[in-house]
Amino acid sequence: MASNPMQQFTVYRIGPEIKIAGIDLSFTNSSLFMVISTSVILLFLFFGSKEKKIIPDKIQLIAEMFYNFVAKMISDTAGSKAKPFFPFIFSLFMFVLLCNMVGMLPYSFTVTSHIIVTLIMALFIFVAVTIIGFFKHGFKYLSIFVPSGVPAVLLPLITIIEIISYLSRPVSLSVRLFANMMAGHTMLKVFGGFVVSLGILGGWLPLSFSVALTGLEILVAFLQAYVFAILTCIYLNDALNLHH
Amino acid sequence: MKSFNYLAIAVVATNKYLYAAEAGMPQLDPTYWASQAFWLILIFSILYISISKFYLPKIKDNLDNRENKIKEDIENANRFKEQSEAKLKEYELILENAKKEVAKILFESKNILDKEIKIKKDEMEKEIEKEILKAQKEISELKKNSISSIQDISENITSNIIENISGNKLNKNSIKAAVEEISKKNIGNLL
Repeated sequence: MASNPMQQFTVYRIGPEIKIAGIDLSFTNSSLFMVISTSVILLFLFFGSKEKKIIPDKIQLIAEMFYNFVAKMISDTAGSKAKPFFPFIFSLFMFVLLCNMVGMLPYSFTVTSHIIVTLIMALFIFVAVTIIGFFKHGFKYLSIFVPSGVPAVLLPLITIIEIISYLSRPVSLSVRLFANMMAGHTMLKVFGGFVVSLGILGGWLPLSFSVALTGLEILVAFLQAYVFAILTCIYLNDALNLHH
Repeated sequence: MKSFNYLAIAVVATNKYLYAAEAGMPQLDPTYWASQAFWLILIFSILYISISKFYLPKIKDNLDNRENKIKEDIENANRFKEQSEAKLKEYELILENAKKEVAKILFESKNILDKEIKIKKDEMEKEIEKEILKAQKEISELKKNSISSIQDISENITSNIIENISGNKLNKNSIKAAVEEISKKNIGNLL
């Protein structure tokens, strides 16, 4: 059943089974592609920062562009207080971006198309942001749930909505990325299946769709990494600069 | 008809795939959840540590270096520009002074020349006047001489004519008186 559109998301074990305290921690294809993405990032950054040229070469220029891109994103959304979190946001952005992009290669596996991966990242961000918020502002951080300038009648309702929206942050953050990646890859697979089943006569239309969708999916891969990083910045901003 | 058959096969085939997809989402199979979480945390930690400890400081250093270099270069360029402007001002000042000096020298030499020319001119005029006076004197002397010699000649001619005509020698004094009378009449007009 190689033509099942969901087949591509199957996780399988590579190498020996590793069991620690009865939990299966085996190295899987998911782990392999995490390693590949990370290696690509580290290699890219290695070559991008190896030579300290005043006039940069191409790879150095790209590395510096990424640096400036993320730095600008953080300073625009979370201000100067978020500077200590720059390495984390940068790592997060690069990791999600490269996992998405590596997933675009044929026969590869998309790490971010698994809810457990995105959920763990989102939960970590959620917990960290909450801890930072309470650490910086104490119990005053709870005022994030009480927006100013709201009529007293509406206040309880608004507060409840704010609490729900705050608690649903990890869910929305993780599901957005996971669903986008899964839907895109499933769609590509389905159109690929159309090309095969319609053959040489009718297969051209789904093939051209497939080509267009590949372009779209590359855009989505970048966009979702960007959205994931910028939402993290926004959450961080709420925790660092209490606006309400 | 053939392509329609293909389409029918495709639709049937895809439906079968879609049903198969509904049958299971590998994402919801918890067998490898712990493994994925474990490896994610491990690998992301390695990535985070190497990025924050090695690569970002390096890139930041590089960017700062470049910014400093550019700032320095711009400062240098501004300094050089100021210097060159000062030099240009100096040069213009020198040029202006030189022009003033030239005008002064020109004026002075013109004055001197004018004076010299005037002196020379005066001298020449005086000399010319002298020469003219001298010439006039000579002319008047010549005139006087010529008149007396004309009188002598006319006296001789008169006496000769009278002698030839009448054969008599007349008194010289009477001839002289007559010639003088006539010449006074005529030469007085000439003089």
